Amino acid sequence: MSVVQISGLKKYFDAVHAVDGVDLSIQQGEFLVILGPSGCGKTTLMRMIAGLEKPTAGSIHIDGADVTELPPRKRGVSMVFQSYALYPHMNVYNNIAFPLKAQRREKKFDKATMRSKVENIARLLEIDELLDRRPRQLSGGQRQRVAIARAMVTQPAVLLLDEPLSNLDAKLRANARDELKDFQRSSNITAVFVTHDQIEAMGLGDRIVVMEKGKIQQIGTPQRIYDDPANEFVATFLGSPSMNILRAKGHRFGFRPEHFLPKTLQDNPENSVSFHYFVKRVEYLGSDRLVYGYVGGHENELTLAKVPSNIRVSLDIDSEYEFAVHYDDIKYFDEASGERVEAQVAGAAWR
Amino acid sequence: MNALGFVLTNFWALLVLAFLGLVGLRIVWRVRKFGATRRELRHVLRRSPFYFVVLVFCFFAAAPFLIMFLHTFKTDGDLYRRPQPFVYRQEPTLEHLDALFTNTAYLDFIRNSVLVGVAVVIITLLLSLPAAYALARLTGRWGERAGILMFLVYLVPPTLLFIPMFRIVVLLGLKDSPLSLIVVYPSFTVPFSMWLLQGFFKAVPPELEEAALVDGYNRVEAFLRVVLPLSLPGIISTVVFTFTLTLHEFIYGLVFIADTSQRTLSVGVPTELILGDVYFWQPLLAAALIIAIPVGLAYNLFLDSLVQGFTMGAVKG
Repeated sequence: MSVVQISGLKKYFDAVHAVDGVDLSIQQGEFLVILGPSGCGKTTLMRMIAGLEKPTAGSIHIDGADVTELPPRKRGVSMVFQSYALYPHMNVYNNIAFPLKAQRREKKFDKATMRSKVENIARLLEIDELLDRRPRQLSGGQRQRVAIARAMVTQPAVLLLDEPLSNLDAKLRANARDELKDFQRSSNITAVFVTHDQIEAMGLGDRIVVMEKGKIQQIGTPQRIYDDPANEFVATFLGSPSMNILRAKGHRFGFRPEHFLPKTLQDNPENSVSFHYFVKRVEYLGSDRLVYGYVGGHENELTLAKVPSNIRVSLDIDSEYEFAVHYDDIKYFDEASGERVEAQVAGAAWR
Repeated sequence: MNALGFVLTNFWALLVLAFLGLVGLRIVWRVRKFGATRRELRHVLRRSPFYFVVLVFCFFAAAPFLIMFLHTFKTDGDLYRRPQPFVYRQEPTLEHLDALFTNTAYLDFIRNSVLVGVAVVIITLLLSLPAAYALARLTGRWGERAGILMFLVYLVPPTLLFIPMFRIVVLLGLKDSPLSLIVVYPSFTVPFSMWLLQGFFKAVPPELEEAALVDGYNRVEAFLRVVLPLSLPGIISTVVFTFTLTLHEFIYGLVFIADTSQRTLSVGVPTELILGDVYFWQPLLAAALIIAIPVGLAYNLFLDSLVQGFTMGAVKG
């Protein structure tokens, strides 16, 4: 069952089309990640779901009710902000209780109920020791938990998270990602998570929405988005280093650096395409060797290969090697639109 | 009088004694903390020129108030014979201070000034808080221009406006009443406070308000529960500033109110204590000093946030 139903949503800031016709339905209990480069409209989309931004056109339904014109407080959503936006003049307890105090006016519940609700969520997020502190006395990770506790305490229909991990240092981030996923799974809440970090997106998302220029480029599971990109943008945006794209007659084709290996190492050489690969530079990254060079016939197009370090072939600079890619790992894109096409359509005759 | 007289006549000796006493205390404190008497003594003595220079600057800053204070207790003879502001050549007297309170309506002036000040501060806050918030947050292209336009009102001097304003006051039947000032003063306090408050509001991250909106509050509640408490230092310094603006306003006060007992400090004191070219210096200075002390204290208390308020809007935009 879908919790959030978005159709034809648009947001124009004067001439800038921040969100340009988005259709999306978010399922109950799923962890949906909206991924895209900065300025692609992902934050605007989320702010429209929250009600902080008024759409130019289109509609948003939450739990079956049309909320397009409703203010944020009547939507049953809550949000974790990038800066956490904790209220500096309140202690942690009052921060978490703040949304409950707003509800108290309609749903009558007493102070004891409120206290037990706050304490429950605090215990769940392991911040029950911190309830008397002020936000400025907390570390980044603790602040993030308080922000999540405040968003979760009212048991909203949808939890919106706006890059909540970007203010943490790298080590904490991996940890926080883990906990966030665990927490979402155990509470079975519907979460929408905005990020520009593909590793975060791949690790957290049940489904990923890739956005660019205000439009959805592709929706799918992390694996599907990575292995079966809908167009050239999705193909090159995901993966690090990004997919090699080479020009051919009437189309472009691409393959990922980790699929581009010495021919002798391909497990199925008959089913692969070989290239003459001229090595220009080799970076040793520990787990991999990153090779910069170009393939014969494409001298002006930098092509990378990512060779795992357990493959001990010698790769010398300014030498030529026989490299190969499996047929299935080559993707073809239309020259004009960048949309994905089949090999036959592209007219590639490797076989 | 005797104790006060002694303090005043031996003023210089006491000042030197106080300085030496401070140096002495400092030595004792350092010896107690670090031991080794001679080294500590040398340390403090080596730094005493520095303390002395600081003292001179303090004296320079405090001199006007000191002179006002010392003159309050001088006899006419002492005052007018070749001026020697810091020395008493005749016995100090309380007679002029007494005259200020008995012969003039000084207490009435204070009452009127406080009444006008408090009322104007309240009106100003009620008008400028929402206006400043709107300018800081909710403006489009025209909002900014409207804000500048409102501030331009502040730049029109009262000397241009007092005649039309007087006609309005007469029309309203408020002549000779402090109420007239309560009606007119917001015309310059509101634009000013609005501009000051806008800077404070802009410093509150918009995300905090958005968080309150998502957390279940409407905009007014978000403003009252989040923005207002966070800009409290700014609001307090705006209050102090608005109050002093009304306290030293002269021309409206002079024109609108002819009845002495209804006048405010800034008008009442000079009109009562300067008659033609005769200045009653002692009560005049006493009157100024008494009102300057609480205002000075208030400014000192909120100096930091006041400076912040003046620079914030400019830097952060």
